[in-house]
Amino acid sequence: MSVVLEARDVEFAFGQTPALRGASVAVDAGEILAVMGPSGSGKSTLLHCLAGILVPDSGEILFDGARVDAMSETQRSSLRRDRFGFVFQFGQLVPELTAVENVALPLLLTGVRRSQALPKARAWFTRLGLDGLEQRRSGELSGGQAQRVALARGLVAEPQVLFADEPTGALDSLTGEHVMDLLVGAAREQGTTVILVTHEPRIAAYADREVMVRDGHVNAPDRIAS
Amino acid sequence: MIRFGLRLVLAGGREALTRLLVIAAAVAIGSGLLLTTLAGVNAVNAQLTRYASMYPQDSAGDADPLWWSTREDYFHGKQIIRIDVAPTGPNAPTPVGIPSTPGPGEFYASPAMRDLLAAHPAEELGDRYPGQSQGTIGPATLPSPGALLVIVGGTPDDVAKLPHARQVTSFGDAPALPETTVDLILGVIAGGLLFPVLIFIGTATRLSAARREQRFAAMRLVGATPRQIAIVAAVEATAAAVAGTAVGFGLFYAFRDSLASIPFTGMPFFPNDMSLGLLNVLLVALGVPAGAAVAAQVSLRRVRISPLGVTRRVTPRAPRAYRLIPMVLGLAVLFFAIGFRPPTSGGQTAVFLPALLLIMAGLVLAGPWLTMVGARVLARYASRPATLIAARRLADNPKAGFRAISGIMLALFVTSVAVGVITTIIANRGPAPVGSTEAGQVSIHFPEDTPAAPDTLFTELRAVTGVRSATTVRENPDMMSAIEPGLIACTDIPSAYGRCAEGATVAEVATGLIPFRESASSARVWPAASVPLGDLPQLPVMSIVVDTDGSAAAVERTRTVLELAYPTFWVGPNVPGDFESDFANTLRGWEQLANVIIIASLALGGCSLAVSVIGGLTERRRPFSLLRLSGAPVRVLRRVVALESAVPMLAVAAIAIGMGLLAAHLFLRAQMDYTLVAPEPRFYVIVVVGLAACLGVIASTMPLLERVTGPETARSE
Repeated sequence: MSVVLEARDVEFAFGQTPALRGASVAVDAGEILAVMGPSGSGKSTLLHCLAGILVPDSGEILFDGARVDAMSETQRSSLRRDRFGFVFQFGQLVPELTAVENVALPLLLTGVRRSQALPKARAWFTRLGLDGLEQRRSGELSGGQAQRVALARGLVAEPQVLFADEPTGALDSLTGEHVMDLLVGAAREQGTTVILVTHEPRIAAYADREVMVRDGHVNAPDRIAS
Repeated sequence: MIRFGLRLVLAGGREALTRLLVIAAAVAIGSGLLLTTLAGVNAVNAQLTRYASMYPQDSAGDADPLWWSTREDYFHGKQIIRIDVAPTGPNAPTPVGIPSTPGPGEFYASPAMRDLLAAHPAEELGDRYPGQSQGTIGPATLPSPGALLVIVGGTPDDVAKLPHARQVTSFGDAPALPETTVDLILGVIAGGLLFPVLIFIGTATRLSAARREQRFAAMRLVGATPRQIAIVAAVEATAAAVAGTAVGFGLFYAFRDSLASIPFTGMPFFPNDMSLGLLNVLLVALGVPAGAAVAAQVSLRRVRISPLGVTRRVTPRAPRAYRLIPMVLGLAVLFFAIGFRPPTSGGQTAVFLPALLLIMAGLVLAGPWLTMVGARVLARYASRPATLIAARRLADNPKAGFRAISGIMLALFVTSVAVGVITTIIANRGPAPVGSTEAGQVSIHFPEDTPAAPDTLFTELRAVTGVRSATTVRENPDMMSAIEPGLIACTDIPSAYGRCAEGATVAEVATGLIPFRESASSARVWPAASVPLGDLPQLPVMSIVVDTDGSAAAVERTRTVLELAYPTFWVGPNVPGDFESDFANTLRGWEQLANVIIIASLALGGCSLAVSVIGGLTERRRPFSLLRLSGAPVRVLRRVVALESAVPMLAVAAIAIGMGLLAAHLFLRAQMDYTLVAPEPRFYVIVVVGLAACLGVIASTMPLLERVTGPETARSE
């Protein structure tokens, strides 16, 4: 398989505090990679650098061979909007919008017409077992339901890479596993690459491979048999 | 708990102190404007009362009566109030504002009048008040520092003969203008400016509410009861409001003199007139902090603060269509008034005032419903994410969305009514155009017994440079079947005013040779009269019409000659545009006040909106920042903010102006049979400037949008 996303010797510091010290990692197309590590190890910073949210102080980020770190803010925003998807730990749904509108949001942001975006978003409700919740607001959803809606939102635009930052961090273990089943299933079905940041080995076990981030370094990758 | 709350405010670190300062500053601006408004209302009242005191009623008492006659004169289109006085005994009261009553051949003049007398030749103005100036009239009797007032002394016999002469034994109990008029003015000012100010103060106290609520949640976690939280919230809001109100008083007194010199009503105020009564002071000093405490409690009721965090309460119940009833009712009353106009002015006030108040209340009440309907329609068809988010937010809680702009709606409605009515009246009854025949015509009318004219009058008049003709119009004895009330020999009609019907020697003419609400015309053919030419000199004189070249010197010299010839005139010799010009100036003064209200209310509305925007951003900082992380351009979020605030504001402005002009049209149709004349471009320019100020304030929140939705928000929360 070909490498779709790669960090080469990336360094990043928050002021005087170094977060990444020469981190390198490569992700294959369609691969599910778990990035693990203790709190403050730099795993979220690595995800943000890979996603073009943060620009490394040194080193390179390559997506499909293009230097992400050399792109302008506008280009990186377009990249995130058009090619990447995101699922965060909590609080990502816009409270005013209904669940289905929240899912349709990435499509609307890329200029898809409402008449096309909403049916496409609705299809994900059946797929993720959310039927009947389309018109609910975020405040009217349980944590698990909200996270599944967020997952649908992350995948609806069929991104090449899905970044999931502690996607089950705010859920109980059973609900978390259910969300992970759906995430992995949908990603495999679409051939989406997933970069999953977690500190739970149980969640990391869903990945094809896991890497450890410790003190800003990425440890040698271990292949997990799929 | 109160001490704890105070400690949190004063020693709660930089953030708490910044919050205190920002809220206090906003309240200071709001309460400063509130005090200015209240003092302005008092100043208008003082101005009107002093104006009314120049027209005292007969009074009985032990003192010797003072003969008093108030007349109106004009100079260059400005109104001069001339008061003739004569004491009938040593105990007669002295007019307010002067040290002693002037005797025959003496007069006192107001400061502005003295300047006017000094600046113009005596034959144009000074000769009208022959004698010795005794000094300056003090402010106690002047409506405004710029008022033109002369108090002229005379003998009791002379003054008693003047029209509407009164016998006055005391001063100070003169009735002010009719209460309804004052109420109407106060209602306009209160509705136009007080409401936006109060909305602004209320909104300011809710600044950074979300941040505060999170802190309250943390306090609940360590065991604070909801009651204790309520006390802390009240203490915080009150402390900021007390500090802001104190600064507001300081601002008001610091700028009072400058504010008084602005001619809001067409005339500047005396600084002392911009005063605050005890009730005003108490109202602001206690009312604003108390209101802030209540606002804090109300805002707490909108959220559920639990030890685990803050959640918005469920979506508020949607407003219902019944909210339209008062507005529709108000419009219905105005429509009804077109067909059925009450005959008395009291009856008219009783119809129009409640109708306007109904529409005003109706607009505020219907606003949330209209906002909801508009937002729902927008949400249904929105294809852009920004439009969708903004429309959903407005549709979810239209009351909150409308609250910040309700002040703008009211202010623009009131001012549009005022400007619409004023523009139409000025257009229909404005001064004669420069260069027209009317602009050069000076006439004096004798409604009752005609005093004998001096033999030399017409010689004197024709000797004035610029005078073209001087004509006498006599009373038509045929009152029953005559078309016009005056008579004139055909040979005496100046060509600019028309000619006689074929074969006639005497014509029926209008009193001033110009029919009512028409212009002078050389093509006009006056109807023949049945009175023989030989009988004309025996008929009473009705008016003298002098045609000049329109130059200020010719007009004023003619006026002076006529006044000296007829010293007992009731209405001074006038140019057709004089009264209208003065009336138009007064109306323009009110128009200016309306313009001030427009800009102030829109700027305040902008501030209220900015506070709402900040609140909305703080509430949604996490989802918004995560949206940005996901690649949503910041311009999408900017558009959300603009759509949530600017679009309703612009829509409300359009509705308010439309409704205001409609109400003005209905009022004008019912009251004066006029059709609304569109306001001058200046009105639209002022509205646009005000809206731009409002949008500028909203735009000032954009840097905050970028800051609070930056990647660090997602990382740190």
